[in-house]
Order: sequence, then structure tokens, then C-alpha cells
Amino acid sequence: MILVALGLGSMLITAGGLDLSTVLGSRYLRGVVWFTVWQASLSVLFSLALALPVALALARYRHFPGRSALLRVMELSLVLPTIVAVSGIIGVYGRQGWATGLLTEWLPGHGWNLYGINGILLAHVFFNAPLAARVMLQSLEAVPPSRLRIASQLGLRGWWLWRSVKWPALRPVLPGLSALVFTLCFTSFAIIMTLGGGPAATTLEVAIYQALRFEFDFPQAAVLAVIQLLICGSLWRLVFRQRLESSLLPHRQFAHAVPLKPWRAQSALSGALLLMFSLFLLLPLLAIGIRGLPALLALDASPTLYGRLLPATGRSLMIALPAGVGSVAASLLILASANKAKNSILKAIPTTTGYLPLIVPPLVLGTGLFLLLRPGLGNHAQGWVLVALINGLMALPFVIQVLRGPLSSLDGHSRRVAYQLGILGWYRWRWIYWPLLRRPMALGLAYGIALSMGDFGVIALFGSPGQPTLPVLLYQQLGSYQVAAAAGTGLWLLLLLVFIFGLLSAIGRPPAHQTRSRLPETTLEPKHA
Amino acid sequence: MLSRLSLLVLAVTLPVIAHAADRPVLNVYTHPSFAAEWGPGPGVKEAFEKQCECTLNYTVLNSGGDILQRLRLEGASTPADVVLGLDTATMETALQTGLIAEHDRSLEALDLPIDWNDAHFIPYDWGYFAFVYDTEQLPEPPTSFDDLINSPDDLKIIIQDPRTSTPGLGLLLWMHSVYGEEAPAKWAQLNDKILATTQSWSDGYFSLFMNGEAPMILSYSTSPAYHMAVDKTDRYQAVQFEEGHYLQVEVAALVESSQQKPLARQFLDFMLTPEFQTHIPLKNVMYPAIDLGDDLPSVFNRLISPEHTFFLPPAEVAGQRRQLVNDWLDAMTR
Repeated sequence: MILVALGLGSMLITAGGLDLSTVLGSRYLRGVVWFTVWQASLSVLFSLALALPVALALARYRHFPGRSALLRVMELSLVLPTIVAVSGIIGVYGRQGWATGLLTEWLPGHGWNLYGINGILLAHVFFNAPLAARVMLQSLEAVPPSRLRIASQLGLRGWWLWRSVKWPALRPVLPGLSALVFTLCFTSFAIIMTLGGGPAATTLEVAIYQALRFEFDFPQAAVLAVIQLLICGSLWRLVFRQRLESSLLPHRQFAHAVPLKPWRAQSALSGALLLMFSLFLLLPLLAIGIRGLPALLALDASPTLYGRLLPATGRSLMIALPAGVGSVAASLLILASANKAKNSILKAIPTTTGYLPLIVPPLVLGTGLFLLLRPGLGNHAQGWVLVALINGLMALPFVIQVLRGPLSSLDGHSRRVAYQLGILGWYRWRWIYWPLLRRPMALGLAYGIALSMGDFGVIALFGSPGQPTLPVLLYQQLGSYQVAAAAGTGLWLLLLLVFIFGLLSAIGRPPAHQTRSRLPETTLEPKHA
Repeated sequence: MLSRLSLLVLAVTLPVIAHAADRPVLNVYTHPSFAAEWGPGPGVKEAFEKQCECTLNYTVLNSGGDILQRLRLEGASTPADVVLGLDTATMETALQTGLIAEHDRSLEALDLPIDWNDAHFIPYDWGYFAFVYDTEQLPEPPTSFDDLINSPDDLKIIIQDPRTSTPGLGLLLWMHSVYGEEAPAKWAQLNDKILATTQSWSDGYFSLFMNGEAPMILSYSTSPAYHMAVDKTDRYQAVQFEEGHYLQVEVAALVESSQQKPLARQFLDFMLTPEFQTHIPLKNVMYPAIDLGDDLPSVFNRLISPEHTFFLPPAEVAGQRRQLVNDWLDAMTR
């Protein structure tokens, strides 16, 4: 936490004074700020507009083949390295893409053009709608069964059901969710430049990169970073003040779903929607697979190919595992201290700092930390530790999201019972918190590891000792015309992420009989989404 | 909490540190395409270590810009002895840091399209910026800027952003050299042809060009050499523009604060010998900085040979860059 402040601070000190007028006075920079806000707002709108019906449909149908696979894919889209995902999106919606080809057949002269605001929004929706739907789904599933039963008995449908049951469940998560998606799109970078069509599509993050990497203009970079911090920061402040964020990613899930009978048209509609959504997510992944498969399967190239892939995978894991574990540990500590604090301001500090890494551009953070720690950075290993540390920091906002609900959902009654029974210390952790946290911790760990695995920015800044991690290997191959091999590496990374999410989701799944038999009154049964 | 966290991380990664340093170590800052396993780096390291009784160590940073950035951040306490991988666009900025020493080397062996007698920087390879096209999609590419600007509207090209990419800046300087004052107006006309302006060359080449999104991309005149020699395909070729081409030179330099100056100078001398330069053509996919004679791979004889070479002195580039970029932005967003 302090790291963030220190990193930004040392950057500011190096930059000297701040001169906001340079930004406000420049037509170009004013345009950049305006465009950044505009595209982020639109992205939020479209992402939530798609996520809402998807979440409603997923909440309505809790059992259909492929549901849990779809949920895994929804977790995946957030952590894919952008260059890989963007290449998949282009493979589907680009000028030569499958979808564009179909569209041309049915509707010649349609005028679809991926490049421009279309592409930016499409990509942002691809990355963020699944996340948003996932969060909304969890809130919908947290509606107490008693309420659903009553609604069912009253025969509530359509508008009335929405008004009395669903909207109250969704309303508290919407502001925090909007702020999260807004921030992610606000700081978007490579997507904007690849799909944006030209310099008219420039975000603040691009301008920061330009100032820092190409013009070596520290003061400018610092001013831009502060503007970014002000805009996103005030948005988050708004959310915090409303006290609405606390139940983002809530946990209470109940064992027995109460089926609300959908009408037939509705169920056909929902099925179609879910099918479209699955295609929307899967087609780009399929495009990545088709592009990368020849490289991974080619037998003649295999020895050198895997000779590079496997050690790079090992190195990536060496950074990503500690980063993931660290971010989960740090999140738990942050949340615990937030829960204990009485004073509302003290309470806000840990959570606020948890969101800071989202808003502070990693490049600025990294450069600041580098300036700060430079004298002590003797060797590569320390550089790698730092990379793991920053990666862990960057994963914090997501891990906190996942863990917050369950940790604060332990109700007063359970706590009192535990206290009366003298369940303290390790036992309290083992029998009360662990069953609640087991699954979210696995998911949080998966996010932490996956985000770090896909990271390229931070490791590039600190330099690697010739031995690449997976994303670095990918960029090395890209940089030297090895297009097929790079596509293979991209697919490999994708498969690895699928494996990590699958594995941790399986580990997180508690053996059904065990949790049910212990402390039945006090433990809420975690049930799988 | 943080110390606990970092201790944990340390404990996991500490075993990586292992050094045996009885021989002198020469630290070279470079970028990935040089140091990659398949790049010139490993071969150069092996050849140099055979004759220097030393260990050659690469620190790999993402690009020439990052090498310079790192050098600036570290200042005089930098462990770097040599920086390798700057280019003509970053030379002047590097010089202004005061961290670059004069090389005092003979540059007689150099074989470039221009005269080179810089006291600080030594070229190790060069190439021209050029548009590479897909012969299957575009059998008859435009052969000049004028041609390109006046081509039918459905011809799309991919370029890189001069604010974030070296070739992108190269194109800006190229257009400026060809059109001078008229350049912004020409950019505005060219705007309709541009499908995407990507952050980096890799984004454009991998995500767009190789996906067949546009038949032409701003790249290097030497790019086809890789496709012909390694991929064994003639499909991708560079088009020679009648106006001439802008020159890109990659350079290395000695770091002022180096404790290993004699060794570093030995390395710079080694750089202009065939033992170093034979690794350049196919592993870095650029022209070697010296005449390799018959050792130059034959595919290099099939590349374009521009009739006119544009090149602006680095000091001039540094002085004008911001203005040129601003003019470009104005023209493109008007």
C-alpha cells in the first residue's frame, strides 16, 4: 500500500512541480481527456447492458450442460494478455474475420468497420461484460430463498418480480461495478491503439506512455497520472461515500435454489441470449486456438519450441505463484483490518489503497519504485522479486473483490456462537472462516496468478536477464518475425490460464459431506456457482 | 505486512541468485530482438568470450527507448558498460544525458549508405523503412507516396504511431523529408488509407498484417529477407518508393561511468568484425554494418535498393520531433 504512495511520490518529486495548466492549455491533451472519459463511459454502458440479461438468464437457469464451463470462460477473459485477445477478436470481427465474412454474405454493403470506436467498444465489452455478469450473477444467487419462495407463491412475474426481488439484489453492486469497469476501460492502452483507427483515439494512458518512454518528460507524465488519479479517484470516492461498494461480489449462497417458473417465450429468449454470449466469448478464443495450434502441433519444430516454452513457463510460474499468494495474503490482511477498524475513515483507508493499483498507471508506479529502490537493486533476482511484488499489487483490487463478500458475510450470530463455544485462534480460522473462504480464496489466487502470468509491462520495465518469461517470450517472437511461434506461445498461455482456473476451481470445491457435517448451525454452506 | 510479503517472495525466489565472478564482467544493455535465443546475442557472446577472457552479460530491456530510460534513471551509478540497440532517433537524447563516452575507435570498416563519423555512437546494423506488402492480396502495390495517396480508397495500410514506435517516427521523418512543408497536408490525404495506427510494430505485424487485415504495413526493407530465408516464402515483399527511403541505423556506445572501459572498447572493435557481423543479417534481419562479401546471405541481393537515401542528423531530429509530432496530430485529427 505504502508502495503505491511511495512510487507515485518519488515520481512526483523527480518531476518537480506540477503544472496542470500545460494540460488544460493544450487542445490535444484536452481532447485526450475527453476521449478517454467518453469511451470509458460508453464501454461501461454497453458492458453492463449486455451483462445484465446474461446474469439474469444464468440466475434463472442453474442447471444446463456447459454452465460451469461458461462461468470459467467468463473468468478467463479478464486475464488474457491483450495482444492475444485482440488478435482473436480481429480474427472474428476484423476485415477478414469470420463474422465479417458471414455478414458480408447476408448483408452486402453493411459498412461494418472494426477500426474506430466500434472496435474499442467491442473489445472492452469482450473483456468486461463477462466480469460484470459474473458479479451480478453472484448477487442474484445471494437472494435469500425465503424471499424467492414468497415471490414464487405470490406468482410474481416480469416487472413485479424484477422490482421486488432482482433489482434490490443488483442495486447495491451496480455503482462499484460501474466504477470498476470504468477504471479498467479508462486505463486501457494497447486495445485503444490497435483498434482505435488513429491518433484521434488516444487515452491518457497512451499520453503517459508517450511522455515517459519517448519524450522522457517526467513532469508531463506526472501531471497526466495525477489527472487520471483525480478522475478515477473521485469516481471511487463517490462509490465509497454511498457505502454501496461493500457488497460487490457478495458471498451468501444458498444450497437450494428456488425455481421460478419462466414462461416459454422467456426461456427461448434466454437460451438464445446465452448461446450468443457463449459464441461471443468463445469465437475469439477459437480463433486464437486455430492460429496457434499448428505451431504447438508441428512435430519438426517441437524440440526447440517446447525447449523454449517450458523453461519460460517455469519462470513465469516462479513470479506468478508468489504474486498470487502474496496478493491473497495481502487482501486478507487488508480486509481484516478494515473489518476491525471502528472509525469510518480508518476503515476506508485499507480498502481505498486496495483500489489504488487500478488507477495508478503501472508504468508510473514502476518507474517511481525503480527510482526509489534503485540503489538497492543489485541483481536480477531482486528485480524479479520486485516484479512479483508489483504484479501482486496489481491483482489486489480483483482479489479483494472476490474475498470481501465472504469475509464480511459471517454474521453476528455465528460469531457469537463461536465465541460462546470458545472457538478461537486457529480453530476459529479452520472451522469458521476456512469453509467460507476456501472457494473465494482459490478464485482469488487464480486471479492473482493469472494476472501476473499475463503481465508484460512491469517485467519489461525492470528487464529480464536474457531468460524470458512467457509474455516476454511472446513479445520476443513477435519482434523477430516468428509469427507462427508467437501464435503458439499465445495459445500455450491461454491453455495454461484455463488449466490454472480449472485446477484452482477444483481445489476450491469443498468435499460436500465434510462442510455439511460440521457446525451445521453456524456455517453457511458455500455452494458452487 | 509488506515486509512479511516481500520476505515470502524473497524466500521463494532467492535460490535464483547464483554467481561465479572471478572473470571481469562486461554488462551490455540491449533489447529483446538482439538478445533473444534466436537473435545475434548468444552467438556474439560465445565468439567474444572466446577472445576476451571475460563474461559478457546482457540486460534485456524492451526497446531502445527503454534502454535509454533505464540509463537515465540509473544515472552515473549504472552498472552498464555498453548500450547496444539505440537508434538515430534516440541518439541525441542519449548524448544529452552526459552518460555516453567518446568511443575513440576507427570506423574505417563501416559500410553504410551514408558517411558516418560520430564520435560517440558506432553503428552495428542498418536498414531502410519501407512498406511491406502481401503479393497475394495486392499484386500491384503503389510505387511512390503520391501513388499511395492517390490509390483507390479500398487500399488500406497499417502504420505505427510516431508517439510510441520507432518505425512510426521513421515514417514521420520520411514523409517530412519527401514533402517538407507540405507533409501535414499529405498526411491528411493519406489518412483515408490508414486502417490502423498501432502502438508498436509487433501489434501491427502480428495482430493485423499476418491476419490479412490490410495488404500493406510500414516495416523494414529487410523484412522480406526473413520470410524468404527462414519461412521459405516469397509472398511478402517490400515495395520500392520512387522518392527514396529513410534510413534506420542501430548503434552501440560506451557508457561514461564504466569501470571496464578497455574491455568495452574491445567489444566495440569486435562489433565491426565479421565474427560479430555475420550474425546480423538473418538473426537481426538488418544489413550488416561492414562489407561481409560473400558471407552476406543471398536473399539480401533480392531486396530493394533505394536510389535515394533520406537521413536527418540526430540533433536535427531531436530538435524537430515534438513539432513534427504535433503537426501530425493536428493533420490526423482535423
